[in-house]
Amino acid sequence: MLELYHWEPNIFSLKPLIVLHEKNLEFAGRYVDFLSFEQYELPAMSTVEVRHNPEGEGPILVDRGVPMTESFFIGLYLDEAYPAIPLRGRSAHERWRVLMWARFANEVLAPAISSLGCRKYLVPALKDRDRRDVLKSIERMPTKEQRDGWLQALDNTYSEELLADSRRKVGIAIRKIEDALAESAWLAGDAYSLADIDLYALIAPVPDLAPEVLNPAPRTVAWMESIKRRPAVTAALAASRTGKPHQAFSPGPEHSRWG
Amino acid sequence: MLTLYHWEPNANSGKPMLALKEKGVPFESHYLDLLNFDQHSPDYLKINPNGTIPALVHDDLMLTESTAIMEYVDEAFPGPRLMPEDPVERWRIRWWMRFFDQYFAPSLSMIGWSVFIGPSVRDRDPEALKAAIARIPLKERRIAWSKAIYNTFSQVELDESRRRVAIGINCLEQTLSERRWIGGDDYSLGDINGFNLGYALPLAQPQLCNDEKTPHIMRWLRAIYARPAAKATWSMGRTQMAQRIQFLES
Repeated sequence: MLELYHWEPNIFSLKPLIVLHEKNLEFAGRYVDFLSFEQYELPAMSTVEVRHNPEGEGPILVDRGVPMTESFFIGLYLDEAYPAIPLRGRSAHERWRVLMWARFANEVLAPAISSLGCRKYLVPALKDRDRRDVLKSIERMPTKEQRDGWLQALDNTYSEELLADSRRKVGIAIRKIEDALAESAWLAGDAYSLADIDLYALIAPVPDLAPEVLNPAPRTVAWMESIKRRPAVTAALAASRTGKPHQAFSPGPEHSRWG
Repeated sequence: MLTLYHWEPNANSGKPMLALKEKGVPFESHYLDLLNFDQHSPDYLKINPNGTIPALVHDDLMLTESTAIMEYVDEAFPGPRLMPEDPVERWRIRWWMRFFDQYFAPSLSMIGWSVFIGPSVRDRDPEALKAAIARIPLKERRIAWSKAIYNTFSQVELDESRRRVAIGINCLEQTLSERRWIGGDDYSLGDINGFNLGYALPLAQPQLCNDEKTPHIMRWLRAIYARPAAKATWSMGRTQMAQRIQFLES
């Protein structure tokens, strides 16, 4: 039985939920409120790959007893393990393009979206909490990267420079999507693929977080609308308990240390 | 028609080189001297406008990003498969390749650029260096080169990189104590990736990576170096950098 631990269906948690529904796979959804820090108390999660989750915090798929992290690689796993309704591209070249989109998304776009989203929604959410309790939970986190990420939100130390750089990176992503959609119907070619799911899940909060970068981006806006209307996306978003999935942010991957 | 544009068999260039050699796929090798900024020359920018290496040209396709190139090579050409059938092992290999590419390698290379790349080019004519930096197409690469040339990596940045290298070594040692290869029972792209990152670790980080402290990493490095494809790949090196691999004969 497939089990997916996830929070509100936003960015990383949204991706595998869409993939599972697109492929009509049965699974047990285990909702974990990341603001409760329960994600650090899950049983049997002590592997290197969970402890050093490159997404900071994200969904965990358990299949055949193995906990798997990294939302794009979870989708790729599902596509390879359950090959009906393939989503990873139809040729070696398309699959290379899917990998290139995922790399760009996780390295450039995801840290930028996460910084903007955390600044807007996580900072005020933590202000309502008992600071000492939050600090106690942060101290127990296994890696310095995770502790630093949460402290940044708790103390609201997002600099103007970082936020401006984040908006710049989101703008680069929108231009890239706009250019790709001038060449083909979907990001990796003529077929809807994991690349579309990956980028859509990260871009979905942009109309709220950085609306200026979508003006104008007509192809991107139309592409977002057509993905949003897919039954699998509706089904994935139905896992929301707050009714505001695109406002759910926890500290995510770091911005590249090389600038 | 298959042409690989690459530098020394080291870090990113070495990944597709070793993958092609393992599969026995013949390719035309086009060596670019990174320290001579060949990768930013007008001729090469016509092939890869981003000016990054390696790049693989297969008929009318131009592919970049060493890890994604390896996956393409494994799928598009005959020869021994370098990704196992088991989807869990494939997931694990990809997780580790991201850990290598985006956590471990950037920290290790920051140290490498500070102690080797920078000093190797720093003494050249300042005006020529300024012009060379200005020709770099990607902003991130311009930042990297100017930090290396003008030696402006901060102590904080370098200390943080050292901390991460130590964590990377610990994680790798732990995983190789649990399984023979990165993914499981089969040698794969994950091992090729990790070897390019780590073959010189016992020389570069002798206090952290050695036969006493990291026996599993040492066993794994020697096992890969024993492969004919690794020997063939590193014999394509032209500088002392590639010769560091001979340490693994001991």
